[in-house]
Amino acid sequence: MIFHEKMHIVLVGMNHKTAPLAIRERLALSCGDASRAVSDVRGLPQVNEVLYLSTCNRVEVLAHLNEETAGIDALRSFILAHGNLSPEELEECLYVYRDDKAARHLFRVAASLDSMVMGEPQILGQVKEAYRQSVRHGASGILINKLLHHAFRVAKRVRTETSIASNAVSVSYAAVELAKKIFGRLEGKTILLVGAGEMSELAARHLLKNGAGKIVVVNRTLENAVRLAEEFQGVPEEFDRLEEQLEEADIVVSSTGASGYVITEAMVRAALRRRKNRFLFLIDIAVPRDIDPAAGEIDNVYLYNIDHLQEIVDGNMKTRMREAEKAERIVEEETLHFTEWLNTLEVVPTIRSLKDRADAIIGGEIEKSLSWIRDLRDEDRERVEVLVHSVVNKMLHDPLTSLKDASQDDGVLAYVAAVRDLFRLDRAGKSRGRHGKKDEKEKKEEPS
Amino acid sequence: MMEPWLFKAALFGYLLSTGGYLASIVVRRVIVARASTWLLFASFSIHTLFMALRWWAGGHGPVVNVYESLSFLAWAVTGGYLVFQTMTKTRVLGAFVAPLSFLLMTITSAGITGESVVPDILRGYWVPAHVIFTLTGEALLALACLAGVMYLLQDRALRNKKAFRFSRFLPPLRDLDRINHLAVLWGFVSFTAGILAGAVWAGAVWGRPWQWDPKQVFTFLTWMLYVLLVHQRLAIGWKGRKAALLSILALAVLLFSLAGVHAFFTTVHDFS
Repeated sequence: MIFHEKMHIVLVGMNHKTAPLAIRERLALSCGDASRAVSDVRGLPQVNEVLYLSTCNRVEVLAHLNEETAGIDALRSFILAHGNLSPEELEECLYVYRDDKAARHLFRVAASLDSMVMGEPQILGQVKEAYRQSVRHGASGILINKLLHHAFRVAKRVRTETSIASNAVSVSYAAVELAKKIFGRLEGKTILLVGAGEMSELAARHLLKNGAGKIVVVNRTLENAVRLAEEFQGVPEEFDRLEEQLEEADIVVSSTGASGYVITEAMVRAALRRRKNRFLFLIDIAVPRDIDPAAGEIDNVYLYNIDHLQEIVDGNMKTRMREAEKAERIVEEETLHFTEWLNTLEVVPTIRSLKDRADAIIGGEIEKSLSWIRDLRDEDRERVEVLVHSVVNKMLHDPLTSLKDASQDDGVLAYVAAVRDLFRLDRAGKSRGRHGKKDEKEKKEEPS
Repeated sequence: MMEPWLFKAALFGYLLSTGGYLASIVVRRVIVARASTWLLFASFSIHTLFMALRWWAGGHGPVVNVYESLSFLAWAVTGGYLVFQTMTKTRVLGAFVAPLSFLLMTITSAGITGESVVPDILRGYWVPAHVIFTLTGEALLALACLAGVMYLLQDRALRNKKAFRFSRFLPPLRDLDRINHLAVLWGFVSFTAGILAGAVWAGAVWGRPWQWDPKQVFTFLTWMLYVLLVHQRLAIGWKGRKAALLSILALAVLLFSLAGVHAFFTTVHDFS
């Protein structure tokens, strides 16, 4: 009778630690359209549910498979084909996590523990967006839903219970620190923002907050430039004037979606001559890169791309390891909770806990009514108790029967999850002790 | 006679300050570096008092023999650093300057106590002017070189990306470049004034202001290098690495013309 649907949670992916920028670039280019990727993966016969997350630092495919080996192979070849990778490259860069390890990895990603810049806040938004895509394409089901909501909760706990995010080591922070190493004070320095993007805007914001005087925004679409410039109280400029602007700017933050170099070595060299060799700090946040690496070889030009910034951040990170350790403990704890939940997705334990829950409620209510029950004759008291029990049992009879019947089908997961959710079986249990107590307290207060 | 006591106090002060600066790098507390700077300033003041008293008591310029020159060099380097320190708030340079001053003063202590005997031909105002201006210039040019070295270290750290963490001890590039620039500029002016004073003296005593003696040849070469550096900075707009490199190269040549020349050539500039 014990049912266990063939339920495999698998996470296949690569990130900035396993794959070099060159490979991520290719993957980001071809998989840029996340919604197509979701529907492609959803179309695979072994896949029940899928979440597709693609940022400049990672590509992660989280899937609920109905067949493990074939499913993993299918996901691998999906990435192989999309990234135009060689099998060797794939072998080198790709990781595969199963079940609780997949959950743990997702939690770590959402909590920004696996980020290039640990504690940076953008990744959570990116995970949320990926989840939205998944929902929009009907690619999310019970498992993805539960996993993702759990992941959001983990991220929130990590953010509030550790100071990992409050004094965040982020790309923008690293950029400010570097700018100070070059310019000393940022007062009066001009920022040139090329393209748009959450991370580059954040960097610009940080630079301004640290004293930078003026900001010029250049964008292929002038409207965007105008909008951004308004936001920063800066000056919008046409894209063709980029070269001239290089002469005025002290700090350039580039993050366009262009596939080639937007700022070439020749442009920088010419600009430097015109600006009499004044220091120029170039920050290239784009993947693929916007600024020709050769430009960084020029005297008095300091070029940092996203991988360079990571190196620095890694250094700063060591001082925050303690916070990260705390966060890891939260992730472990939550992974355990998730695994517990996963294990309860079987019919028999669910029936048992539903009955236990009913008994607990009856016991609690009788205890509350002891004052008048005590006054009854023994006979009457027994009758009352029998009555209460039979009402509850009658109520539960049909749902339990349906549940048992459903356990023969593939769709049982939905029933089990629904029952657990409706009767709040997971919240009253030991795994969520605090919530459970709170729930009971609320219930106690209801009748009065 | 309180001069020896003052000299010892200054020497001890330089030692304490050196220890303080080095400790500040290890413990990374601004307060330690700040205290070291004040110590250095105190030592510098005592040193100044020492030289002034000696000048007054001796009745001749403070820099006649080699020991007095070294003492003066230490004084000038320290003074130059203290001025830049107030301008740029880069105390880390003190970790280089304080040991250097202490070293110079230690060497000085070997011979400073005796009365200096001034040969007749070195009497007058042009000799002290020559020595004071050239030594002040050299001290500033040495500071420029130090700033240049630190600039190159910081530049390399920023370019290597990985070594970034070490650069936290170093001041921002802009400050180092500015110190380098100003030190070269003032040092060059003082150095030039010193050479001119020497030439005037030589014209009066030897009959010829300039005679292409090996020492003079190398000094001229050094001077040309600084002319080049100042020109590149002011006219061509050099900044940063190239200027730092040239200021280091120029100081190497300067050191050779200061000391090396005497080992390899016989020179008229020998008064011992």
